Amino acid sequence: MRRAARIVLAAIFVLMLGANVFAPYGYERQFREEAAAPPTRAHPLGTDAVGRDRFSRLLYGGRISILLAPAAALVSVAIALLAGLSAALLGAAWARVVSAAIDLFLSLPWLFLLLAVRGLLPLNVSPGVSISVTFALLGLLGWPGPARVMMAAAGRQSRSDYVLLARAGGESGWRVAVRHILPNLAPITLAQFWTTAPAFLLTEANLSLLGLGISEPMPSWGNLLRELQNVAALPREPALLVPLLLLVATLSCCQLARAADEVSI
Amino acid sequence: MDWRRHSVLGRLAGAVARRFGALLLTVLAAAFLSAALMRLAPGYGMDERQLDPRLSEDSIAAVRARDDPGLVSGFAGYLGGLARGEWGNSISLQRPVRELMAERAGLTVRTVGAGLGLAWTLALALSLLLERLHRRAPDVAATLVTGGMLCLPAAVVALLFLHLGAAPAFALAVILFPRIFRYVRNILAASAQRPHVLAAQARGLGGVRLLWRHVSIPAAPELLALVGVSVSMAVGAAIPVEALCDSPGVGQLVWQSAMARDAPVLMHLTVVVALVTSAANVFSDAARAVVAREA
Repeated sequence: MRRAARIVLAAIFVLMLGANVFAPYGYERQFREEAAAPPTRAHPLGTDAVGRDRFSRLLYGGRISILLAPAAALVSVAIALLAGLSAALLGAAWARVVSAAIDLFLSLPWLFLLLAVRGLLPLNVSPGVSISVTFALLGLLGWPGPARVMMAAAGRQSRSDYVLLARAGGESGWRVAVRHILPNLAPITLAQFWTTAPAFLLTEANLSLLGLGISEPMPSWGNLLRELQNVAALPREPALLVPLLLLVATLSCCQLARAADEVSI
Repeated sequence: MDWRRHSVLGRLAGAVARRFGALLLTVLAAAFLSAALMRLAPGYGMDERQLDPRLSEDSIAAVRARDDPGLVSGFAGYLGGLARGEWGNSISLQRPVRELMAERAGLTVRTVGAGLGLAWTLALALSLLLERLHRRAPDVAATLVTGGMLCLPAAVVALLFLHLGAAPAFALAVILFPRIFRYVRNILAASAQRPHVLAAQARGLGGVRLLWRHVSIPAAPELLALVGVSVSMAVGAAIPVEALCDSPGVGQLVWQSAMARDAPVLMHLTVVVALVTSAANVFSDAARAVVAREA
């Protein structure tokens, strides 16, 4: 099961990364005479309301989502790891500060905080800036959940016998952290990454569906889902469901891969 | 019996009171954090009137030169206003923030309450049923179904329920159910693995009594802690649900304010949301502590 999930994920990853190769057209190119066209050989998923090829936009949009959600997850997990390690090594007072910061961030639903900050971007913001800000915010605000897990795990490791032995042998705190604790936290770090990256994909989708995600004409899986707002058109145009199915398939494979990692921890 | 009930309520009140300082500090810190984040946002302080071609150079210069008191003194002024009951006016809706909140809060409380109640009922019922059946196939089926539900963006679920014409509370319940179910299932499964339960099962005991007295009641502290977390989840999920289902509650107000870059409303909503979620966590934490002591 784990292998199948990882193969599917790898296939989706390759397809999206190779959007330049696999997509028949650019994501911005308009076919004005074929606006809102049904699927044809030239446009396998049809065209949107302004005549852009849906298949090409799906691939380019997937590339943005599938590259930047894990990048944001890396930022979150790195902050969480640093917070957890520092709490375990710098004494009880600092651990209380980290714990209070985690509680503070967790007291606010992060979709709310994201909306509040994302909503204050200037109206004339370029698509590139909107992408960077959206995913940077995800990375910077998504660390408290993983940090709580990391803090507990790093605390357990720092109280273990092998750390005591290393300390007794004269190794400094940070050397113990880098050489001994960090390698033992790797499985939990990986599991947190597998938890966070899909959560960011979902959050980007929610933000974009609310009109506060990645701005047009740049595609992402989230803003491609906006076409679902025309639910009545679904029986006529089932191709509108393809971005949702791809998102669900990707997230399901992430869940399966994560479940396998959690079992192996 | 009565003295015992009073004693439990007294302990609960004491536990809440002990956590009140932490609650106040968390809300203050959340307000300051949101003020700082908003200030750091690239569009902070930009007024759309600067783009209005009808305004003269002098008027635009006056808009630009609005006095900016700075983060700390601005925040202090904001707290002072709150203490005097002055919540300011919404920029986009041109109405007092307090009035907007008052007229929308009731609907959101009802939606969130009904959604949470339904999700918790379903999650508890399914978890207890699975624990009672103790079979692998239904467990795997429930995991797969809830796993699939977790992969759906909340906004897509809201759109689906809008199309079906169902109440927003049902959309909220569908969004919350898989998340709550996963936690409840894990808590009950861990409780069922405790030595005294295994020993009771080995002696041939079983059924509803074992499930209730030895599995569910000992798991109550953890379940109570989850109640607080689920309130926070519900408040977050209420935003896309109310925005897309056209339900005029606080969630929709958050979305409208974000779209209109209405900083005063967003700032007040941050404080209110932090207060609600922190209070829910404090109550559930206090109840967990009291129940754990009683057990």
